[in-house]
Amino acid sequence: MRNRDLIQYLTYGGVCLIILLLPVFVQDAFLLNKSARYLVLGILAVSLSLSWGYTGILNLGQATAFGLGSYCMAMALKLRTIPIHTGAEGLPDFMVWNNVEKLPWFWEPFYSMPFAIVAGIAVPVLIAAGLGWFMFRGRVTGVYVAIITLAFLVVVNLLFIDQQRFTGGFNGITDLAQLDLLGFTFDAYGASSYYLIAICLTFCLFFALLVTKSKAGLILQAIRDHENRVRYFGYDVARYKIFAVSVSAAIAGVAGMLYTIVMEFASPTFMGVQLSLSVVIWCAVGGRQSLLGSMLGAILVAGMQGALSESETFLDTWTLVMGLVFVLVVLFLPKGLAGAAETLMGRLFRTSGHPSKTAATTQGEAPARPAASRPT
Amino acid sequence: MNGAKHLTLDNVTVSFNGFLAVDNLSLTVGEGELRCLIGPNGAGKTTTLDVICGKTRAESGEIKLGPTLLNDLEEHEIARIGIGRKFQVPSVFRQLTVRENLSVAHSRRPGVIRNALQIRRGEASEGLDKLAELVGLENQLETMAGHLSHGQTQWLEIALLLAQDPKLILMDEPTAGMTVQETHKTAQLFNRLKGNRTLIVVEHDMGFVKEIAEMISVMHQGKLLAEGTVEEIERHPAVREAYLGSGGISHA
Repeated sequence: MRNRDLIQYLTYGGVCLIILLLPVFVQDAFLLNKSARYLVLGILAVSLSLSWGYTGILNLGQATAFGLGSYCMAMALKLRTIPIHTGAEGLPDFMVWNNVEKLPWFWEPFYSMPFAIVAGIAVPVLIAAGLGWFMFRGRVTGVYVAIITLAFLVVVNLLFIDQQRFTGGFNGITDLAQLDLLGFTFDAYGASSYYLIAICLTFCLFFALLVTKSKAGLILQAIRDHENRVRYFGYDVARYKIFAVSVSAAIAGVAGMLYTIVMEFASPTFMGVQLSLSVVIWCAVGGRQSLLGSMLGAILVAGMQGALSESETFLDTWTLVMGLVFVLVVLFLPKGLAGAAETLMGRLFRTSGHPSKTAATTQGEAPARPAASRPT
Repeated sequence: MNGAKHLTLDNVTVSFNGFLAVDNLSLTVGEGELRCLIGPNGAGKTTTLDVICGKTRAESGEIKLGPTLLNDLEEHEIARIGIGRKFQVPSVFRQLTVRENLSVAHSRRPGVIRNALQIRRGEASEGLDKLAELVGLENQLETMAGHLSHGQTQWLEIALLLAQDPKLILMDEPTAGMTVQETHKTAQLFNRLKGNRTLIVVEHDMGFVKEIAEMISVMHQGKLLAEGTVEEIERHPAVREAYLGSGGISHA
């Protein structure tokens, strides 16, 4: 057990080290920016792995938290742009075009960068916890959670598009300043932004890992396995689930803020259905029951998507190629790439006759799991 | 009856869409007593356990553990008061190891924040190791619960209950699917438990019941039919009537 934990920490640390060292070998600004973007999506996948892979809550609206974090950062950076088209007192340009005369009250606090950063985490957490409170107190489980979270995402998305005067509508919030923090300027195409994101990724990944290693993390996995049984041991299942979606939303909020920095704008597509469903696919490909697997799944799939859609040979067919990859993974690797890797490692280094826990986790999970967690 | 009243059911009624699963049932179990609950299929034994542990709500009547009224409490609150339940279908956490299962069951401090701050350590669970030894799973601590045999799963469930350490244990057919030796071993364990804990055991295996029971309550069609020692129940005319056609209680 101890040994397996150590190997896991070393693997996670090793991957983070490789990510941190990448700018030494890659100097191309465009490539560095693209890599940073994929890393941010990797953080988003970690957040879903925590709620879906570890707790069994399939949150199809994970992009809600991501988008909210992204807008919080964009609001703060927008207020720091040098006014070119702006009205009186540096009113953001899109507000001027929409005949807004005074900065709305909820924009005011975003003059403070620390406030924006706290809000980028707190707002997603509060919203996730609130929605979780309604769902989990009411003992909503399984596919209904997926439907409610997806519907909620659509509502938030439409709200942001509709309130053009305050959110920039379809265009989102564009033309942002660069983030200035602790004496560093984070240029989206420079190594500084990449390092910021790589450090945040390392932090988020290990934070999530520690959560899964805590006793609460164990209880979350027990809830995934057999929710009702956990109740009869005296645990308030609803509270544990709210805890899981809140931690997950916090990480997704961080990812959202970083995405604004690396993309240099915030857009309603950051909280779109397409992105939200993509996260599920990343986790499925990488292995949702592994934080690292989900993260690498996101980087791999998003990277492939980028490479294929830019290559001339697959210009017309890249969506088909991606579809084929998903089908193959779902058919032959039900536990994703992480599951395949662990099975392989288990075969290479079989130490004892007992099926080891990590190797065993990767073997076929009962497909009827969601049904089993329904209240009886 | 040894000692004070521990669990009291007072005129409890449970109905499912008009079907009376438990009909005006009154039952008292003393502290440290081992009570066997028997009865033909559909007599309402499992529903009685369900209503005690909060899985099913009573339509009327009162359920009390000591002075505490349980009717309106949620399942986890009832569990925290000290009631443990073993279900008919073995329900362990199949994707967790035996050790992890025991660690989940050891639920003295059920709060979220507290458990989030507590990092698991394999060494800090010596008590759990002893429990695993007690039920013969000491070599299986790192095995996934899903890989255990049926009998071992039953044992694991019993160990989970002991790790939870409740004052009142509700067992629904603990020996189902066990071999004769395993059943005997379970009986020994139960005999050791009674006195310290209150147990209510629903069981069909009369051999097992005779081995452990002091008092037996017989249910039939949601009602309490008879209550008494093994000899009294075997001679009871109404019980013979209820089991008519299945050759009497000893062949149930």
